[in-house]
Amino acid sequence: MVLPPLSAEESARYARQIGPGVLTVEGQTRLKGSTALVSRAGGMGGPAALALVMAGVGRVIIAHGGRLISPDLNRQVLGSEQLVGQSRAPHFARYLQSMNRFVTVESVDHEPDDAEALELARRANVILSCAPTFEERLRLNEAAVAAGVPLVDAAQWGMTGTIVVVDSGRTACLRCIYPANPEFEEMFPVIGAISAAIGALAALEAIKILSQTGSLMFGRLWMLDGYHWQWRHVQLRRDPDCPCCGPSARKVSSQCP
Amino acid sequence: MNESVRTMQVRVVLSGRNYELADSVPGQLTLPEGASLDDALRTLAPLVPSDRVLPRSALVAVSGTHLGTVNRHRPQVLRDGDELLVLAPVAGG
Repeated sequence: MVLPPLSAEESARYARQIGPGVLTVEGQTRLKGSTALVSRAGGMGGPAALALVMAGVGRVIIAHGGRLISPDLNRQVLGSEQLVGQSRAPHFARYLQSMNRFVTVESVDHEPDDAEALELARRANVILSCAPTFEERLRLNEAAVAAGVPLVDAAQWGMTGTIVVVDSGRTACLRCIYPANPEFEEMFPVIGAISAAIGALAALEAIKILSQTGSLMFGRLWMLDGYHWQWRHVQLRRDPDCPCCGPSARKVSSQCP
Repeated sequence: MNESVRTMQVRVVLSGRNYELADSVPGQLTLPEGASLDDALRTLAPLVPSDRVLPRSALVAVSGTHLGTVNRHRPQVLRDGDELLVLAPVAGG
């Protein structure tokens, strides 16, 4: 693959993130040549998308349906009071684009269904799953596995959060962890500081994957409990009978079992 | 003759959606030597406040190794000093 060279202006923009312990010039050009899909772009996905855009990921696609409501503003950093009542995705994309003219931001103004998720996954080099429902997370997981694209799953509840990083087809996928869809509560508790932290760390892992930098967290779950200030790593086990990534994987709907 | 039962200590971490329950259960279980993961979960369940349960979909891991969910997991014999993590799924956005 021929990597797109950095212009002088781009080199100047990214000067603080190129060097020992950060990115190489080649890593930065890999970011430029990459596409990331972020679904959704709220409390976690918003900060994640912002970090990807600012870092110079060449194309960032955000998917988020609906209109901004006042309670979103305790965490959705891409919103503003002026946007309450307006469609989230195009406005969020406009803000993201305003942060970096060297990248392209695309918006999808709804949550993708199975077919569209797969189509988007095939265009992406990494997927950040930041959705509030397991149905959506498992749909993105399935699309990532089918397309052979790495998945960074970021999740949050109250003052806790988790990140799971999947090397599709090689390490445990979300379905290996959750053989049955867990229950879902619409009004999940959330404070913006934790969702922003988890989203930003998910973006860091995506940047490392895309730029081929550092030690990657494939096959592991990281848990942060901000309430008790403790964190853990779990080495995940692939389910040999996983209907999504196992050897006898069959096409399953994210809505079942 | 009373024969003393040898015991071991297993640290317990409840988190994820369960995190607010962590202060209601002991951070350490005393179990007979050779106790299993199932023994530990059976010991833990009645210690959870009566109006709450450990979700069957919660991930269980022992000393950093994923073993499945509360409902479906690999058998595991515990050792003194192990840490049992019960992580109820989280999915907020």
